[in-house]
Amino acid sequence: MNAIEIRSLCKEFTLSSSGAASFKTMLLWWKRRHVERLEVLKSLDLDVAKGECVAVIGRNGAGKSTLLSLLARVYKPTSGSVQINGRLAPLLELGAGFHPDLSGRENVFFNGIILGLTRKEMRLRLDRIVEFAELERHIDAPVRTFSSGMLARLGFSVAVHVDAEVLLVDEVLAVGDFEFERKCYAKIDEFRQAGGTILFVSHQMDAVRRVADRCVWLQNGEIREIGAPDQVIVHYEQGDAAHGVEPSAHE
Amino acid sequence: MLVELKELWKFRELLISMVQRDLKIRYKNSFLGFFWSLLNPLITVLVMTVVFKNFLGNDTKNLSAYILAAYLPYMFFQLCLMDSSQTILTNITIIRKIYFPREILPLASVISNFIHFLLALLVFFLFLLGVYISDRTLSPFQWTTLALPLLLLINLMLATGLSLFISALNTFYEDVKYIVSVSLYLLFFLCPIMYFSEGVYAKSMQHGGLLLYRLYHLNPVAMLCTAYRKVLVAPQPVSDHGSIYAPLTLDWVLLGVAGVISFLVLVGGYATFNRLKWKFVERP
Repeated sequence: MNAIEIRSLCKEFTLSSSGAASFKTMLLWWKRRHVERLEVLKSLDLDVAKGECVAVIGRNGAGKSTLLSLLARVYKPTSGSVQINGRLAPLLELGAGFHPDLSGRENVFFNGIILGLTRKEMRLRLDRIVEFAELERHIDAPVRTFSSGMLARLGFSVAVHVDAEVLLVDEVLAVGDFEFERKCYAKIDEFRQAGGTILFVSHQMDAVRRVADRCVWLQNGEIREIGAPDQVIVHYEQGDAAHGVEPSAHE
Repeated sequence: MLVELKELWKFRELLISMVQRDLKIRYKNSFLGFFWSLLNPLITVLVMTVVFKNFLGNDTKNLSAYILAAYLPYMFFQLCLMDSSQTILTNITIIRKIYFPREILPLASVISNFIHFLLALLVFFLFLLGVYISDRTLSPFQWTTLALPLLLLINLMLATGLSLFISALNTFYEDVKYIVSVSLYLLFFLCPIMYFSEGVYAKSMQHGGLLLYRLYHLNPVAMLCTAYRKVLVAPQPVSDHGSIYAPLTLDWVLLGVAGVISFLVLVGGYATFNRLKWKFVERP
């Protein structure tokens, strides 16, 4: 059974010119401008096998982050379907969902529960999480006093300790210092050896070459190429150079 | 809706921790902590009692208890609606990153307010006990006190339904928040907090029957305020605008109507929330 199954996935967004919605725009419906729709993903099909690590590359606005958000069930697909088999942990932008006034420990606890653990399970692994993040000294201080590096370490540490089977990573391995980055990679290798599946988005081709089994090149909401990382990266970089500035979906 | 309820049950651990977190954050940086939530109604009722007794010449026995019995539930209702209108917007960063049933946010806010309300009721019973010690005719318990859980249930359904409705709508139209606060202000006068439903009854009878009295109590919050008074305070002749009225008994039919209305509000609120919840992240 595949860990991730994506079937003709489409996602459209409504573009608004006025910014925040208000009663005024609702009441003045006859003045409402023609609604512009933006197709970010156009009928995407992708299977990711259990234990596989797939990288998604592409220019800004190609739909990479939208794809991850759809997998994380933050968005509802316009059409098509996404099926995930196994517990999912999204590592989208570390430290999202931390409350500044609560201590590191309280935030870790809460974050683990959002990711689907019970309170009992969380109590058992709290110490391991803090130890991995190397924050024993600061963990009882409010997180508003944490540096961004500390937040990132804590966020990463929670996500890799919740026993997820599928990990979604959005360009986050570049945070933290060199030493911690090495530790993250070690943890990711460990995660993969245990049979975990990873889907990650990155602009760092070195990282893609190092970790990915397969690489997906996304262009304007469609898959341009799937294959071995080395090959796809070469085409991607050549394609980029050939196009000069490729028209991105947002412009 | 059943699917959504099942999903919610799967995430009950998150709901519990969200409530704990809510309670923690609320008083994290304040010295008096929970006592602030008691201080507010106590001071309000003290002021009201002094004004009524001295300036308006209301000499109802046990007046403070009457005011508190209606004001505490009104305050719970008010805090629920005010807090929940902001829940989605203040947590939009988490919503953008991680999936969980979105209704957990307003629900947690309602539940933590409900816990405060229960604690306030506990303090209120201590107050009644004090009253009883000074005057043995004012018992803190009647047989109707047994109906308190029913009132709490109706109150909770109503507050939850409206909170879901408001939190969903306010995410798209921030005008909702202002409409809610004005409505709550008006609602305060439409509920028997500063006066007695016995007075409404007398006026209604003057104008040819029970119609006015019944219409007045179609407002579930007014009905709840009246019912809380019947349930929590020993029945006394009450005074209103210089006339003395005998206490009425609790009208179970009107309470039943309020219960049905509250249940419909809950179902409607939840349905509205579910229809809109996927659009929160895509809010234009």
